[in-house]
Amino acid sequence: MTRRVPLWLAAPAIAGLLLFLVYPTVYLVALALTRSSLAHPLRVFTGVENFQKAFAAPAFAPSLGKSTLFAIVVAVVTTLLGLGLAMLLRHRGAGFGVAGALLLLPLVTAPVLVGVAWKLLLAPVGGGLAGIAAALGLGGFNPLGSGVGALIVLGLIHIWQWTPFAALIAFAALGVVRPELVESARVDGASPWRTFTVVTWPAIAPSLLAVATLELVIGYKVFDTIVVITSGGPGFATALSPFVIYQTGLRGSFDMGTAAAQTLVFAAVVGVVATAVTTVRARMVRAEG
Amino acid sequence: MKARLTIAVALVIALLPVAYLLSLAVRPADDVLNSSLLPNTWTWQNFVRVFDTIDLTTMLANSWISATGAAVLAVAVATPAAYVTARRTGGDRLLSVLLASYCAPPIVAIIPLFFALRYAGLTNNVGGLVLVNGIASVPVAAWLLDGFVRRIPVEIDEAAAVDGLTPARVFAKVVLPLLWPGVVAALLVVFFLSYNDFLFAVYLAVTKESQTLTVGLSLFQGDRNVQFGQQAAAGLLGIAPVYVLALAAQRYLVGGLTTGAVK
Repeated sequence: MTRRVPLWLAAPAIAGLLLFLVYPTVYLVALALTRSSLAHPLRVFTGVENFQKAFAAPAFAPSLGKSTLFAIVVAVVTTLLGLGLAMLLRHRGAGFGVAGALLLLPLVTAPVLVGVAWKLLLAPVGGGLAGIAAALGLGGFNPLGSGVGALIVLGLIHIWQWTPFAALIAFAALGVVRPELVESARVDGASPWRTFTVVTWPAIAPSLLAVATLELVIGYKVFDTIVVITSGGPGFATALSPFVIYQTGLRGSFDMGTAAAQTLVFAAVVGVVATAVTTVRARMVRAEG
Repeated sequence: MKARLTIAVALVIALLPVAYLLSLAVRPADDVLNSSLLPNTWTWQNFVRVFDTIDLTTMLANSWISATGAAVLAVAVATPAAYVTARRTGGDRLLSVLLASYCAPPIVAIIPLFFALRYAGLTNNVGGLVLVNGIASVPVAAWLLDGFVRRIPVEIDEAAAVDGLTPARVFAKVVLPLLWPGVVAALLVVFFLSYNDFLFAVYLAVTKESQTLTVGLSLFQGDRNVQFGQQAAAGLLGIAPVYVLALAAQRYLVGGLTTGAVK
């Protein structure tokens, strides 16, 4: 019998956890309950004042709903597109191949850089796609000019960046599906859709639902492209929560107390949604047996 | 045939933004907004002049140093931790807590970290970025490495223990040498995450001396006459080595991400 692996091997990681999870949480609560300036944090106890100010900021409350909608939509789309791509790559052969390697490149591209490229591609006057838009009879094509359009553009860029991650995990998950089961289902005359739901899906569901959850969390983090492409505009249509907090805490107002209150509210929303999704996922996996 | 066509379309979409940056980088300023995906006239000047417009050398150095440092730090901390999460009874609970901390949006930690780093004199400092990116990436690295440790048969640990090695020595002498594909994968993933980081860098390192490339590129936008061609050139100089690295080490990257996820 081997001796227990000593916990001290994980001591640096646990220290990091304290520094990155426990300390920020405690400090945020303290900041949220007091008045602070950038130079002098934690001056006077103010109770719930910062939370009132947090919601008094017109962009904040809508940002929570928009961030949640954004995260859910991109999680569903990246997971489904990723699964589709993975099935195509599997269909072609056992390896991820050159095409697979190239398809991964969006994942390692800095979002800031992606933002710069798309901003210029979509510029209404002289942008890279303006000529094509004009040729298609869409003169004055300017998706970044409207709130909904700009939000959709940010969503599409996020999907562009993060679909490869879902594709990679789905590709690996498909590797555990036993081909002889797929083959016998086909021999028995099952339609491709029925083969998928009965044979493939139960085998890949745990991995795929896990990746969807990760994509959800990643969707809540979107920030860089907002700074580069829209600065939260037009109006505050694309001011998702991290960007609102950034503006409150850093750009312009340096109101750390209010930013801390907003951060706590946002973290609570992400926590509740992520827990709900994880619970549903656990039920689904159990139901699949 | 249909599958090939769809993959080809996906490839075009995947590569379009960066290909467009390349097309911008070789245009003179008056050709940038020509409504076309392709340049009308060519120049290599952007790749030269951008070094006068911004301090690109410093930015690139800062990005490389902070990302490399963060990768080494995160993997050094996460590797022994992954041995605990994979092998110790109840270790998977530690992994869950680590992963839960990673699910919190990083903006949550920014303000407290800002005050802590300022107290330690590490704001506007590449060392501060190494620390923050490194520790922030420990959960991802531990998650990846946990999968690799689990693939090593536990009988190997047991045989070494029978030979009289303590668990810590089993880890260092027996498990670690078998773990190197996982270590390479984790180093790569943390490097890419840190190299592309913008949120931490824009809060914690904003002076000219400490700016990374992502912050420098975002500030390009704020200038009065934005030199889009130069901005694209700077971006490409930042991204080219990363793409080469990602393609060259593709095997480790794919192996790492899939071993972590599909257990």
